Formats: sequence, structure tokens, C-alpha cells
Amino acid sequence: MTSLPRTNGSRRPRRSLPWQALIDATMLLLWGLMFLRFTITGKLYLLLHPDYMWLAHLATVLLLTMGIVRGAQVWLSYRQGRGPAPRSQEHIALLPRQLSVGLLIAIAVFGLIYTPRPFASETAFQRGITDVLGQTRSRPQRFSLSGNSEDRTIVDWVRTLNVYPEPDAYAGQKAQVSGFVTHIPGWPDNYFMISRFVLTCCAADAYPVGLPVELPAGTPRPAPDTWLEIGATVQTATLDGKRQITLGSATLTEIPEPRTPYEY
Amino acid sequence: MTQLNNGITLFFSLLVEAMPFLLLGVIFSSALLLFVDEQKLLGMIPKNVVLAALAGSLIGFMFPVCECGNVPVARRLLTKGAPTAVAIGFLLAAPTVNPIVFWATWIAFREQPEIVFLRVGFTLIIATTIAIIFSTQADLRPFLQESLTRVMGDSAAATEPGEPLVSPLLSSGTFLMQSQGQVLQLSAPAATVMAQVATAPPSLSIRLRMMMDNMVLELRELGAVLVIGSAIAAFVQVAIPREVILGLGQGPVTSILAMMALAWVVSICSTVDSFFALSFASTFTSGALLAFLVFGPMIDLKNISLLLTVFKGRAILYLFVLAAQLTFLLTLVMNLYAG
Repeated sequence: MTSLPRTNGSRRPRRSLPWQALIDATMLLLWGLMFLRFTITGKLYLLLHPDYMWLAHLATVLLLTMGIVRGAQVWLSYRQGRGPAPRSQEHIALLPRQLSVGLLIAIAVFGLIYTPRPFASETAFQRGITDVLGQTRSRPQRFSLSGNSEDRTIVDWVRTLNVYPEPDAYAGQKAQVSGFVTHIPGWPDNYFMISRFVLTCCAADAYPVGLPVELPAGTPRPAPDTWLEIGATVQTATLDGKRQITLGSATLTEIPEPRTPYEY
Repeated sequence: MTQLNNGITLFFSLLVEAMPFLLLGVIFSSALLLFVDEQKLLGMIPKNVVLAALAGSLIGFMFPVCECGNVPVARRLLTKGAPTAVAIGFLLAAPTVNPIVFWATWIAFREQPEIVFLRVGFTLIIATTIAIIFSTQADLRPFLQESLTRVMGDSAAATEPGEPLVSPLLSSGTFLMQSQGQVLQLSAPAATVMAQVATAPPSLSIRLRMMMDNMVLELRELGAVLVIGSAIAAFVQVAIPREVILGLGQGPVTSILAMMALAWVVSICSTVDSFFALSFASTFTSGALLAFLVFGPMIDLKNISLLLTVFKGRAILYLFVLAAQLTFLLTLVMNLYAG
């Protein structure tokens, strides 16, 4: 505890400022501000499933409120010259106090500066991109598909394929999807994967799905991570020794990265 | 560079998802620690050992604390004369069997509801079993730290809670005559004596200030552990080659052992550990995820320093070995027969 000498002739004898409590209040406020920044800049969409955003908003309110109340308490007890409240219980420190506060403040400041970025093609490839859903993946009992095949997103396509995998059943259907480009090693030069990440809870469980696209003759292969809107007709092709659906006669339109780059 | 960005995004994602639950846990535990009367609670515990062990395991529903908060509570339960079965059951189960942890696990694993229910089920089985084993030791004192046994008073005076009230003067001991025909048994557990001579409970405003102090204190400590845990989870995801993790994570035995070791080292708070486990959901067997979720909250690296404030080293070793074996056994059965 550091004592702060009062230079002006105040009514009270000089008293030390409750630095620890002030630092705690600052820490809470910084965390609240970090959450607020993610919300305002829309970066929360890169981190969380939209269903759980209200929890993050709740946390923002709680953190800011606790920070303000803590600050007010410090101010009041300083003005009135009261000591801290009696300790409610014995408590065993896990980490030295300075270390935990320092760590939390550092992370909050970092979170206020750093801009999270969505996962991209390299990660998609590393995590094993596929048009098949693994054992632990979300398989909704019911997902609504409008009759129009052009309304299906990539994950809709993949879920549909999972229920009924025969590629020929889809031949000739129109598809209209958007996603980013991933190059799969071993595929012919005129093929790439149009992909998206899917979230069930938060970015920690993001997994990639994708559909192979056949480039029209003469079109250069787009660079990985380019965001494209693709209008195409479904056909079948054999890639990696497996017969699967591909998007043929594709028209590629470059689009900016969407505000919500994941599908759910 | 991509890896680094991914790691940081993952790290913040875990923090943003887990922080609301940590906040709720801290708020509830601070409120309940100040407003729930453990003495009354202990009076309601059944006397049968099995039922007491089960009841102890279920008290967590009234104290939604994670493993950092439950050791002080278990310590206070012991000083207030709780039977062994209740204290041990509470110690092992409370971090998992409580509403906030249940909800957080549900959000993380809503696609695999069996994980949510088996987590609670396995924890109850293990906690109750160990509590019953420990209660065969009629007097727990040799297992406890001396600082704690001193507060508990001598065993003859320690009355079973829930015992019908007979005049205290019919039992032996040292008494002080109080007003209105009340007596104070000096040889009773110190905490009981303190409770009897305590002045009126502090005013509401003081209690609210104490609650705020406690909330900030817990948030600071558990938040720091959460930050470290999230950083480890993010690092493992992006830095260790996927083939290595898959090779380890798909074996029915190795996956469980790896996750139990990870749970022990990472020491992440039980309110938020399901999100940590979630990041391994695609690479590890369900049994391994359960082992992480069941074993971690019972005993981990951080928790041992806390347990040492209550138990002697030998008792912690027994707890550790029993909990590890039972977790391994149950989750292995699940991997082999239910996966």
C-alpha cells in the first residue's frame, strides 16, 4: 500500500488511497470496455454463436456495473475515511495478487487493441475440410429447406448430403452459395473448394465445410481466402478417388468478406 | 502468422464465452456464502452414511461454487461438525453438480446431451463412493491438518448435527452458564462456540460490501486462471500438429489418460471448463472429454494447494488415486461399450 501525501491543506489528516481497490475497479472497467468494443465493432460475430451473444452482453453490463460500484465504494470510503469492510471469510490465494491483476489488465488492454480475424483457408485445410459431417457434428433432426435449391447455403448442402449422400440425386439442380476459396492439394488445377466455417457454440468448435467447384475453362483459379458468390449447376465428379457432387458451369463473383463469416 | 491470429481469435472466443459464466458463478457463490446458514443446512442432513454422502454431493446445488470456492466451504462445514461423508461428498461433487456448471456444459455440449448428463451422473457416483469409503474412518482427524483439528475441538464433544436436542448438561464437558438458562459448551467445536457467542449479524450494507469484496477477489483469481487456461487451450489447438492430437485422441485408453493429465495441469475452473473441452470435441473420444469434465473439478494442480489447507498429504493422495481410478474406469467403460 502506497501512501499519497496531500499537498493542499485539507480538513483531514493525510490518508493513503486504497490503490488495490482502485486497480480492481480499473480492471473490471477495462474488461467491460473490451466486451463493449467487440460488440460495437461486430467482432463478437467472429467469436460467438449469435444465440449466446446475450450472455456476452450480460457480462458487459455486469463488468461495467461492478467496476463503477467498486470505484464508487473506493471514493465513498476515501471521503468518509472508512476502512475496508470486514473480511467475510478466510481465502486462499492461488496466484499472487499482483500477478493475477496484472495478467487480467494486460489481456483487457490487448483485447482493446487487437482485432480478431475470422478463420481462413489454411485453417480450414488444417482442420480437415470435408463435405461429410463427423461423428460429433451438429446434425439437426430437422432443418428447413425451401424447395428452391438455390436458397441452400453451403452448410445446408452439406447437411442435405449427409442425410442422402447419393451425388447423382442432385445433378442438374441450381446452386447459389457464397464462401471463401480453399485450394486442396492433389486436386486438378481447375478445381477448388468453396468453404465456410460452422459454429455451434464459439470459435473454439468452428469446423470447416465446403463444396468442390469446377472452374469454367479459361478462368484463372482464384487465390485462397478470396470471398466469392457462386452461381452454378450441380454435377458429379470423382475427386480423391471419391465420386461427389461438384458445382459446374460456375459464375464467380468476388464479394467483400461478410460481417458474419460463419454459418450456424 | 495465420496460426498466431487463429490462436488469439480462439483465445478471445473462449474468454468471451466463459466470462459470463464465471461472473454468474462468482456472484452466486458470494451471495450464498453470506446469506445461507450452513448450520441449519447440516441439521437437515440424513444420518445414514450413504444418504449423507449423496446429500453432501448434492449440496452443490445450493452453493454454485467451482473448485476454488468449495474448499473453504468444505472446511467450514467440517469445523461446524459435518459428518465425513457430507464433507467429502461436497468437496468432490459441488464444483460439478451445480446449476451454473450444468447450464454451461449444456450450452457447450447441447449437440451431445449424453455428455452433460453423464458428467453429473459420473460425478455423483464417484463422489458418493469416495465419501462412503472415507466415512469408514470414524474419526477423520488423523487425515486433517492440525490447524483445522484444533478448531474442531475434541471428538467426544463433536455432536452429530440433526441429533435430537437433549439438555447439553447431560453430556460431559466444560460449560459456561449463560443468561436465560442457556449454557455454552466450551469443549464443543470452536466454530459452534463462536456461532453461539457471536454478536448480531452485520447489517445489510456491510454484508453487501463484504459480498462485493468477495466477488472482486474471486473474479480476480479465477479470471487469471481462466486466462491461463484459455491460452493453453488455444496454444494446443494451433501449435501441436493435428495428427499428433488425433493419434492421441482416438485411442480409447490414451485419449482418457491424456485428457485427465490435461485436466490436472490446466486447472481451469469448472464453470468454464466445458468450453475448454469443447475445443477438443472433434478430436477426442467422448469418454476422454467426460474424463476431463469429471476429474478436473475434483482434483487438479491448483486445487492441491487449496486441499492442503484442509487435509494432510496422505489423505489427498488417497482422494487423488481413488478419483482418478474411478474416473478412468467409468469413462473407459463408456468408450468401449457406448462409443
